[in-house]
Amino acid sequence: MEEPVPVTAEPVLSFWDQHRYMLLIGISIGIAIFLVVVSMALYESSGAAQLDLSRPGYSSVTSQAVKNDGDFQNYPTSGALDKASLDQFKSLYDKQASQAKAVDAFSGDPLSPEVLELSTPANQ
Amino acid sequence: MFIVKRLIIGISLATVVSGLFFGIVAAQTQPMTDAQISQIKNNCVSAKSTIARLHANDALLRVNRGQMYESMTTKLMARFNARVDSNHLDSKDLESVTQNYNTALETFRTDYQAYEESLSGALNIDCTKEPVTFYDAVADARTKRSRVHVDVIKLHQYIDDYSAAFDAFTANFYKLSGAGN
Repeated sequence: MEEPVPVTAEPVLSFWDQHRYMLLIGISIGIAIFLVVVSMALYESSGAAQLDLSRPGYSSVTSQAVKNDGDFQNYPTSGALDKASLDQFKSLYDKQASQAKAVDAFSGDPLSPEVLELSTPANQ
Repeated sequence: MFIVKRLIIGISLATVVSGLFFGIVAAQTQPMTDAQISQIKNNCVSAKSTIARLHANDALLRVNRGQMYESMTTKLMARFNARVDSNHLDSKDLESVTQNYNTALETFRTDYQAYEESLSGALNIDCTKEPVTFYDAVADARTKRSRVHVDVIKLHQYIDDYSAAFDAFTANFYKLSGAGN
């Protein structure tokens, strides 16, 4: 003789209870999109985008970026000041200053209409 | 002598900037002729290629020069000022030049960002359909690039100023300590 199977009442699930996994996935995607938007906004507004040579269009110059300025020594912040330490600073500073000033960066006028040939001969 | 030198540099900078500004404004106020619009349409593809190369080269320049300008203050100026300060000596002049240098460096960063955004905007314009907009965008980028160059000149000037302040500090230090002979 078979034992009677207890009949249990079917729990009534609301719409959100039935779709809780979809809700979880949706919220996760929403948070991910929000964080991506925030990080992209920071990337653009902070000036990091301008320093990112891995962006498309910069592949021709990526290899020329200075990745290690190890020869640019830190001057020690502690210790007594005497002739030797002052001479050391002078020597370090003069060396780096001459390198920093060696290039007259962003000089010239490469965007002038004449250079880009955007002006008619009458305007030249 | 020092003041005269700075005055001459200041006047030269003002002349260059105002010359460029008025030149560009004068160019923009002139109505564009059909011939010029046609010239822009014909040459804009090669112009965009030149601008794209300049865009990449200037980005490289910004990264490499920016790194060097940054190191000048973080690895030398600030560290020497700290050492002078830790020895209880007067570093007011050195700190003043360093502060000016840092302000100029911040302006350089901001101006370069504005220039790059302007140049990228120009590159994104379809110059065959919008030749006048393209021309104006390039003119805007040109003005902003000249500002970045002025910032670079200022940074070089402050590098010299720090050197002069260091020499003055050293002379005073030797005078007070009786060393250096």
